[in-house]
Amino acid sequence: MKTKLLIVGGGPAGLSGAIAAAESGVDVLVVDEGLELGGQLVKQTHKFFGHQGFFASKRGVEIAKILKNRIEELGVKYMLQTTLVGFYEDTAVAYSREEDKTYEIDYDYVLLATGASEKFLVFKNNMLPGVYGAGAVQTLMNQYGVLPGEDFLIIGAGNIGLIVAYQIAQAGGNVRAIVEISDKVGGYEVHANKIRRMGIPILLRHTIIKAIGKDRVKGAVIAKVDENFKVIEGTEREIVADTICLAVGLQPSIELASQLGVEMVYIPELGGHVPKRDENMRTSKRNIFVAGDLSGIEEATSAMAEGYIAGYTIAQDITGKDLSEKINKYKEELADLRRGPFGKKVRSGLEKMGIVLPSGGYRTDLQKDFGPAGKLRAVMECHQNIPCNPCEAVCPTNAINMGGNINGIPHINYDKCVGCMMCVMKCPGLAIFMVQEFDEYSVVGIPYEFEPLPNVGDKVILMDRNGEDVGEGVIQRVIKNRKDKTHVVYVAMEKGLERTVRHFRVPSDEEDEIVCRCEEVTKRDVEKAIDMGFTDFEELRRYLRIGMGPCGGRTCRLITMGILARKTGKSMEEISNMNLRPPSIPISFGSILRGEKE
Amino acid sequence: MKEYRVCIIGGGIIGTSIAFHLAKLGERRVAVFERSYISSGATGRCGGGIRQQWSARMNVRLAMRSVKLFERFEKDAGFDIEYRQGGYLLMAFTEEEAERFERNVKMQREEGLDVEILSPKMVKERYPFINTENLILATFCQTDGHANPHLANFGYAFAARRLGVDIYTHAEVKDIIVQNGSVMGIESSIGSFKCDVVVNAAGAWSKEVGKMAGIDIPTTSYRHQIFVTESLRDFFPFMAISFDGNFYIRQTKHGQMIMGQGDPNEKPGVNRNVTYEFLKSMSEKMTKIFPFLENVRILRQWAGCYNMSPDAQPIVGCSKKVNGFCYAAGFSGHGFMLAPAVGEALAELIIKGSTEHVDISFLDIDRFEKGEVEIEGNVV
Amino acid sequence: MDRRIKSHPILEFEGEETVTFYFEGTPLRAKPSDTIASALIANGIDIFGWTEKGRARGFFCAIGKCSSCLVVVNGTPNIRACITKVKEGMKVERQIGRGMPLWEEKQ
Ligand SMILES: Cc1cc2nc3c(=O)[nH]c(=O)nc-3n(C[C@H](O)[C@H](O)[C@H](O)COP(=O)(O)OP(=O)(O)OC[C@H]3O[C@@H](n4cnc5c(N)ncnc54)[C@H](O)[C@@H]3O)c2cc1C
Ligand SMILES: Cc1cc2nc3c(=O)[nH]c(=O)nc-3n(C[C@H](O)[C@H](O)[C@H](O)COP(=O)(O)OP(=O)(O)OC[C@H]3O[C@@H](n4cnc5c(N)ncnc54)[C@H](O)[C@@H]3O)c2cc1C
Repeated sequence: MKTKLLIVGGGPAGLSGAIAAAESGVDVLVVDEGLELGGQLVKQTHKFFGHQGFFASKRGVEIAKILKNRIEELGVKYMLQTTLVGFYEDTAVAYSREEDKTYEIDYDYVLLATGASEKFLVFKNNMLPGVYGAGAVQTLMNQYGVLPGEDFLIIGAGNIGLIVAYQIAQAGGNVRAIVEISDKVGGYEVHANKIRRMGIPILLRHTIIKAIGKDRVKGAVIAKVDENFKVIEGTEREIVADTICLAVGLQPSIELASQLGVEMVYIPELGGHVPKRDENMRTSKRNIFVAGDLSGIEEATSAMAEGYIAGYTIAQDITGKDLSEKINKYKEELADLRRGPFGKKVRSGLEKMGIVLPSGGYRTDLQKDFGPAGKLRAVMECHQNIPCNPCEAVCPTNAINMGGNINGIPHINYDKCVGCMMCVMKCPGLAIFMVQEFDEYSVVGIPYEFEPLPNVGDKVILMDRNGEDVGEGVIQRVIKNRKDKTHVVYVAMEKGLERTVRHFRVPSDEEDEIVCRCEEVTKRDVEKAIDMGFTDFEELRRYLRIGMGPCGGRTCRLITMGILARKTGKSMEEISNMNLRPPSIPISFGSILRGEKE
Repeated sequence: MKEYRVCIIGGGIIGTSIAFHLAKLGERRVAVFERSYISSGATGRCGGGIRQQWSARMNVRLAMRSVKLFERFEKDAGFDIEYRQGGYLLMAFTEEEAERFERNVKMQREEGLDVEILSPKMVKERYPFINTENLILATFCQTDGHANPHLANFGYAFAARRLGVDIYTHAEVKDIIVQNGSVMGIESSIGSFKCDVVVNAAGAWSKEVGKMAGIDIPTTSYRHQIFVTESLRDFFPFMAISFDGNFYIRQTKHGQMIMGQGDPNEKPGVNRNVTYEFLKSMSEKMTKIFPFLENVRILRQWAGCYNMSPDAQPIVGCSKKVNGFCYAAGFSGHGFMLAPAVGEALAELIIKGSTEHVDISFLDIDRFEKGEVEIEGNVV
Repeated sequence: MDRRIKSHPILEFEGEETVTFYFEGTPLRAKPSDTIASALIANGIDIFGWTEKGRARGFFCAIGKCSSCLVVVNGTPNIRACITKVKEGMKVERQIGRGMPLWEEKQ
């Protein structure tokens, strides 16, 4: 098979790269191992932040469809359920699962957009069935429509943990708690608020100690930790749950980049080991580009911008056309996305690679004013500088503004607000509410994305921002939003409660800490080996067989390096020499025999 | 400046075996310099096969001595190296090869080795999972077998360290200091060291290290590729090899099938990249002879270097031109299995001036000047 | 036990349970779009086998990377349940430890 540009990964980064290159007349082939195009997007049922150019306020699944339609229009070739297993000295090899055979691919340029994989976590009994990765739970429930349990415990309160918890609730599951070891929520406050007001506790400074159960998870023991993340004795308690969902971060999927021999750097702010690249997403090899989570864990919006930059730069190389105007436009967009406080990590990570980005220059003060009592109006509870502006874009009377920069805190001009609730339906953070005070009672309009929708007249229990019950209310109006699916439910309540109510509900033995799943290597095994005198990651790997099983080290590599760094006092950079070897997933002899060269 | 009696260049199986045997003979003023980490060279990349069925008498003797030492390894070094005497099946697919095998067996039996000659039918009866079509005959020696090369390398290194040897990793030797025809010391990336004896155990880099002392080691390095499959139940106790068929295969203790072949078109040089061509040609060949592989998945593929000598026999001894310069190089595809006997013999030579267990004078470098070479034919 | 999501505020799940496959000899129903893993979990089964050391094993990553979900399918071991579609009449068994390969007589 021959192509000018081979793109590995059909997530937002890869697809945007494909669009840019194909638009500019380049012949493109996208290879993706998933069932559908879209990468992480196909599992995301929530609305994305950002601005319209990057499909803000659309749900991940919808963005995936838009990108897919666009590449089909452009005649981009793509192969699904196909894994790029190796970049060899002599050829590149893709393996098709459906056909159970391999293909050799001849290319001039490569754009790697392989995204990221989930990190694993070490605790007792962590291998029991019922301990699942957050991505796995998402795949099952949002792609196959199967919910793997009833009572869930989520580990990690970053955006992924928060969103997965919300999605589990949407699918009808019970989220018992989110456990977070640090003293603050890592994800966006608006995501955390959606969780809190449903009454799901986010337990900060807590960790999981062990899963309970013999053949499957029956519960978990959690405990408080001190400033040094050490468990405080006596604070252990049990939580009943049949599913423990790990959302402890992502690591860039660097296997193929490593096989291609591009220069790697270890930058914790970008998620660990990442390929070194310039502002145009070009790696140390002229014809190899990267984009998206592979080049640093971030977001779909930045993944798309990076994809475009890479795609246009490659097209410029191949066709000789000057595409600098487009490239610069996306660079400016990217710089804007990364200006705010949540971009700080990425900014300092990129600075280590020599890429310096601006910060600040947006409004930071909150709106104090709650608006004129008695008027039906929107109130905004968006208190962090997130690069997102669908509310401003959708407001028909220009009542909402971000203060000139997309990272600004939105303010609302109550003279102009007509109470149309368009912003409530659009806000990806579900952080805008409607309020109106009457003489006898008040009404709050709440964005609502659960099944079943309540009926007018239903009695409901009112909940505050922390999910505490604060009284009873009656459903007054239900505004169905068939298109966007964020409905608005108006609840009538006692006067004065409109400032606190933000949600409602309808009344209705052997304990091993596994590091390497494939070879069943425990944390104790690793520590013992280090005590014996193994001080090199590669030596440890060869001695304990970590990473020699079918997963190729995806779950255990980082954990082992972390233990090694901690015990030896060496930095991650120092112990990061490693050889990642093809094929990146196991392929059978038969599939090679049935392989096609053309 | 720190002083040692012996500085060994190379922390592979050969360098660490020499260090261990020197220390066992009472010489603890020994240091090993390894440029990268222990087992980073050919040792950590090899198949781990241990075989006494050779065509050259010297190799049979060295291998038979090594087997004795492998049998004692766990006791001597305090390390389980997954050693298994499951036998080695040599398969001949041409008449000429079959005749050669029969001649070899005669010589091997003279050396006291217990070797069987098996007809294709006998092979099929013992191992129903082998397709014996086109097989002319096979030879089998039950005391042959295999071990885990990483563990053996670590075993020697840790045991040597326990006996007082210094093992420096991430320490590259840059030069050997020779004055008035005698070794004085070495210079390395971690500093200079005085010593009386330097041992070149640098594997694929033996020629470069030889040059540091002004001695030409006539070796050339060639890439060899190899891969493992997912784990299967333990059902394949022996190692199988064919020279005219050009393959070897065994099952590790962890159930993975490990296999490889030689490539006659490989260009000389240190190259550790991998090719898909290799996987394709192996898949085709191996599924014919071992049909069960068809539905087995390949996990990981890598490459290492054979350090080849002109006659495919190792070059071991101490230089008559530079006093104190010794070498153990050119191990081709069998340095792992010979390491115990070679380490022991060279240690004896350095400490006592002569060998006690196996006479290795035939392996000295001057055989090439004298023209006394016997080419080893049993290599993949 | 049926763990299929009956109604969802955002998504629609298509397909009927028209496929029959066998798990440890018991006939189970699945949708044509199911993988072995999603079908097993939908049927309330989450122990897919036991490791060499006797630990219960189930599914973990769902995308064919971690090899936690290996099962025996029609006699062939080491099949990743999470990325292999169920087929009519398929015989799925829990894998205990490592698998034994199959071979056919080619002589
Ligand atoms: C729960 C969750 C919620 C999120 N919410 C938001 C949000 O609200 N807003 C936002 O902007 N971002 C969000 N993100 C982040 C966003 O989804 C990612 O940053 C984005 O998807 C990264 O895009 P990508 O193209 O780099 O990688 P991915 O989307 O991960 O795509 C990578 C693709 O590469 C394929 N692939 C990998 N290796 C190979 C190979 N060897 N051969 C073939 N194919 C391969 C994979 O199958 C995958 O399809 C969220 C992420 C998660 C997990
Ligand atoms: C694919 C393959 C399969 C094989 N299968 C078998 C088999 O089944 N059975 C068998 O017996 N043999 C086998 N071999 C051969 C065997 O691996 C080698 O003969 C043996 O490992 C050689 O050991 P060594 O210590 O000489 O070399 P190495 O293990 O390569 O060690 C040499 C070390 O020297 C270091 N070094 C080099 N220069 C310097 C310097 N200037 N300063 C410091 N350190 C330096 C290197 O970093 C290296 O670690 C195989 C080889 C390969 C490649």
